[in-house]
Amino acid sequence: MENHNANDSKDPASFLSSIIGVPVTVKLNSGVVYKGELQSVDGYMNIALEKCTEFVNGQLRRNYGDAFVRGNNGISRALRGQDHTQSMNER
Amino acid sequence: MADMADEAAAAVSEPLDLVRLSLDEIVFVRLRGDRELKGRLHAYDSHCNLVLGEVEETIYTIEDEDDGDETVKTTKKQSDMLFVRGTLSHPTVLASDSNDR
Amino acid sequence: MLFFSFFKTLTQQTVTVELKNDISIRGTLKSVDQYLNIKLDDIVVLDELKYPHLSSVKNVFIRGSVVRYVHLPPDKVDRGLLEDACRREAMAQKGKAA
Repeated sequence: MENHNANDSKDPASFLSSIIGVPVTVKLNSGVVYKGELQSVDGYMNIALEKCTEFVNGQLRRNYGDAFVRGNNGISRALRGQDHTQSMNER
Repeated sequence: MADMADEAAAAVSEPLDLVRLSLDEIVFVRLRGDRELKGRLHAYDSHCNLVLGEVEETIYTIEDEDDGDETVKTTKKQSDMLFVRGTLSHPTVLASDSNDR
Repeated sequence: MLFFSFFKTLTQQTVTVELKNDISIRGTLKSVDQYLNIKLDDIVVLDELKYPHLSSVKNVFIRGSVVRYVHLPPDKVDRGLLEDACRREAMAQKGKAA
């Protein structure tokens, strides 16, 4: 599929910056899932989420105003924009 | 000049800015090993080392009952001033506007 | 460097170091280095019955990476000063991870 949108560049960093403000799902190695609006990301894959909800075993556990998710050790498989045509491959 | 510095201080352009703006606020932290902390954030660094004041720690452990069932036990501990080693603070630091805690 | 400097201000104070293997050791903070390795003097192990093997030990060196928490004396921590130092370091570091 060809993409001509300037924001839909191929490298991961610019993909991430192109989905700032978009609702995303973040899944950690522990299996815990955070859903919220992507506020920012840095080079360590630290992530800030707005209007964040936490899911453990698929069940809603908590609501947070803002959440900071530590990069490196934490984040694994999916960072996916909902209502967004493009998504990173899920493994 | 001062305006620019103020702007930079207020903006959330990277995730750690969110943590910086939570200084002197009550935050909620999830650690690995089924531990949670709630306390006032006094310091942090890029490794996510933290200093928290008036902390309540909650530890969740699974206990095997005699009948083979498992129950989740919660243990609470208090500490007035606590340094938390960053490498184990798995994911989350939360601002004070969390809805239900 | 923030926490290295912070811990240096707490030397000679009594602290309790909780390790990742659940052992808690209380003692006088003698020194700290950039890795936050810690030297404690006149130590007491909190749950002595469970961990009797340290009962004859007086001084320890603790590798920073095995530390879970350090409980600090609250009256020896200037919260405002610490927060200001933290903000200053954060602004200096800004953009390093971008």
